[in-house]
Amino acid sequence: MPLLEAREVSKVYQMGTTSVTALDDVSLAVDEGQFVAIQGTSGSGKSTLLNMVGGLDHPSSGDVYFNAKPLGPLSKKEMARYRRFSVGMIFQNFNLIPTMNAEENIKLALAFGGLRGAQRRKTAKDLLGRVGLSDRLTHRPSELSGGEQQRVAIARALANNPKVLLADEPTGNLDSTRAHELLGLLREMVTRDSLTILMVTHDRELASSFADRIILMKDGRIVEKDDE
Amino acid sequence: MSFLDILHLALRNLRQAKLRFFLTTMGVIVGVAVIVTMVSFGLGLQRNMLSRFRALDLFNEVRVFGKSVFSMAVAGVDPKLKRDENPGGPRGPGFRADQRPTRILDDAALAEIAAIPGVAYAEPDIGFTTFVRANGRVVPLTVNGVSVPNASSRFKNFLAGQMISRADADEAVIDDVSAETLGFKQPADAIGQTIEFLAPANEKNTSQKSDGQRSSDSSESEDEGGLNFFGIPLEDDSDIEPGSDANKATSDGLNQVVAHTFRISGVLNSKPKEGAGQGGRIGLMSGAAIYVPLRAARQWTIDHRNPMGEVALALARQSGQLGERETEGYFSAVIRVDDPVALTPVRQRLTELGFGSFSIVDELEQLRTVFLILDSVLGLLGGISLLVASFGIANTMIMSILERTREIGIMKAIGAEDREIKLIFFVEAAVIGVTGGVLGTLAAWGVDGIANRLAYRFVLKPQGASFVDFFSLPPWLSGSAILFAVVISILAALYPAARAARIDPVRALRHD
Ligand SMILES: Nc1ncnc2c1ncn2[C@@H]1O[C@H](COP(=O)(O)OP(=O)(O)O)[C@@H](O)[C@H]1O
Ligand SMILES: [Mg+2]
Repeated sequence: MPLLEAREVSKVYQMGTTSVTALDDVSLAVDEGQFVAIQGTSGSGKSTLLNMVGGLDHPSSGDVYFNAKPLGPLSKKEMARYRRFSVGMIFQNFNLIPTMNAEENIKLALAFGGLRGAQRRKTAKDLLGRVGLSDRLTHRPSELSGGEQQRVAIARALANNPKVLLADEPTGNLDSTRAHELLGLLREMVTRDSLTILMVTHDRELASSFADRIILMKDGRIVEKDDE
Repeated sequence: MSFLDILHLALRNLRQAKLRFFLTTMGVIVGVAVIVTMVSFGLGLQRNMLSRFRALDLFNEVRVFGKSVFSMAVAGVDPKLKRDENPGGPRGPGFRADQRPTRILDDAALAEIAAIPGVAYAEPDIGFTTFVRANGRVVPLTVNGVSVPNASSRFKNFLAGQMISRADADEAVIDDVSAETLGFKQPADAIGQTIEFLAPANEKNTSQKSDGQRSSDSSESEDEGGLNFFGIPLEDDSDIEPGSDANKATSDGLNQVVAHTFRISGVLNSKPKEGAGQGGRIGLMSGAAIYVPLRAARQWTIDHRNPMGEVALALARQSGQLGERETEGYFSAVIRVDDPVALTPVRQRLTELGFGSFSIVDELEQLRTVFLILDSVLGLLGGISLLVASFGIANTMIMSILERTREIGIMKAIGAEDREIKLIFFVEAAVIGVTGGVLGTLAAWGVDGIANRLAYRFVLKPQGASFVDFFSLPPWLSGSAILFAVVISILAALYPAARAARIDPVRALRHD
């Protein structure tokens, strides 16, 4: 049974009189412990799909299943809990809170998870240690390199122990060396901690060297699934 | 996310925009300061007025009215149209009874009233004007009978000497103005001096008591007994009208009857502190120039009845309303209660007994309404300035939503509930409200203090008056002002918070 599943998901944006079909009848399944890459050109609907899976957006039709349970019937509050505990997301532009240092950014996520006081501080330190940033606790995002920022973002995404990490172009703002380092870290987490990763990228080379499986998208459709 | 975390986030957001926070809070400070200053002024006005009344014994006293011979004498007039006043009394239209009395207020009735729980004593109101001689001068002065001893504030402030020592003492207390009129240079000079009440020589004086015509009155005074009266009939010319030519009579030392001699035991300070009361009126008992023991005064009014009183008594007896053996009673009396709280039940009892009564508390109820309206208007004016401040709060928050859109999107992406996003904004608003409320109250307190000092320095002190606190800032006012500021602030945050919670994370996080 797949951990994550999209069944016949479509998303249509209504723009005045015209409608844009961002996703057209997309189905896919990801098993636990898999590192799956979605590859496609800009505008092919990758981010839209990832946001549906991450519980940030609702499909126009079809549904996303987590642990065989559909997200569609969830209330807003349950959806927030799904985002908090079941999935973690990272983005191309990191999306750290610029006025908070690395530790505070992670502690914010831990606070939403309900962790308190000393336990929250310790967990934040452990998480930053896991991504190799033990010595960057009090650095603000502006005082960190792109690679370091993305590591903080990963630590934050994993703060409340989700089974799935959703990554939207995580290496988009990194140079090739840093990109390889980062994907190396993600690969290690999948292999060692059996984390499940669904990653969007337009870089075929990176996808093929780190992912277990690549899904190719074009114009809102899945055009190719390998290793199925 | 715990409330502490939310508070922490809210404070952090406010710290990040210090100037904006300061300016927004400033609006609340001004609004609260205006409200609190205005209302505290209204409350101060009320408090000062009430305490003035209290100092004048107005809360401790009830005036009770009995059925008077004057009302009995009037015939053929609709009772409703009759003014139940004592036309022969020394005072003009004063306090009106709440109901038409049906019982005669005689000594037995007074004893009954004095026995009502909570009543300290009942003092019949006996006053008259007469010529008096002291220090070689003769002047007409007002005289009141007082019970001795006496707890009224009126007899708390002596310039010289003291209160009349006993109820049966031939002693009198005069006020400072009379002492001056009588030519005493210092109040102390009057102490121990005699003061003579003058009466027409053709009248019977009290030493010749019983005579059939006033059998009842006389027997009454005999019952009281022990009155240390001594009249000194002067010479012979009993046909001379005394009032008409008093000064000449004095200079002659002839043609005059000295009806009663008192020794001056004390000189009162008739000028109450802080300009309290008009005309030296303290309590419900009318003011007078001279006070003598009640029984002496009572006897005087019986012996030297004025013509109208004489007629009224005759008419009342003729009509049968006043029995041959019945005494006429007093027109009114002042009742002192131990505790103002007892006022209402005592008055209820008086009504049951068939007496009319008057208490300043009646007037006070109206005054309270006036103050309530005044305070509301003042508070409303302040409320408007706080309303303006609330628009400032709403504006500031909407601005900060625009700035914080991405941050809110991030929080939603990592699992923030709408409720939590809203709470952050409400707590921010509440912090603005509390800060503005507390500082505004402090500011009002400062303004009150400065205004008091300025008023003292430039108005009161030059007039020789002592310091007056014009404001009243009770804890409940500060408390409710702060609470009000918080509530207004949170109301102002309603829309911004809802808008923040509605932010679409996908849109907020789009990286272009
Ligand atoms: N909110 C939106 N309104 C209208 N069109 C949208 C919206 N979001 C995405 N789209 C459109 O949907 C398509 C897919 O976008 P996206 O998923 O961001 O592509 P990718 O991430 O693969 O570059 C694009 O054509 C884009 O213009
Ligand atoms: Mg994209």
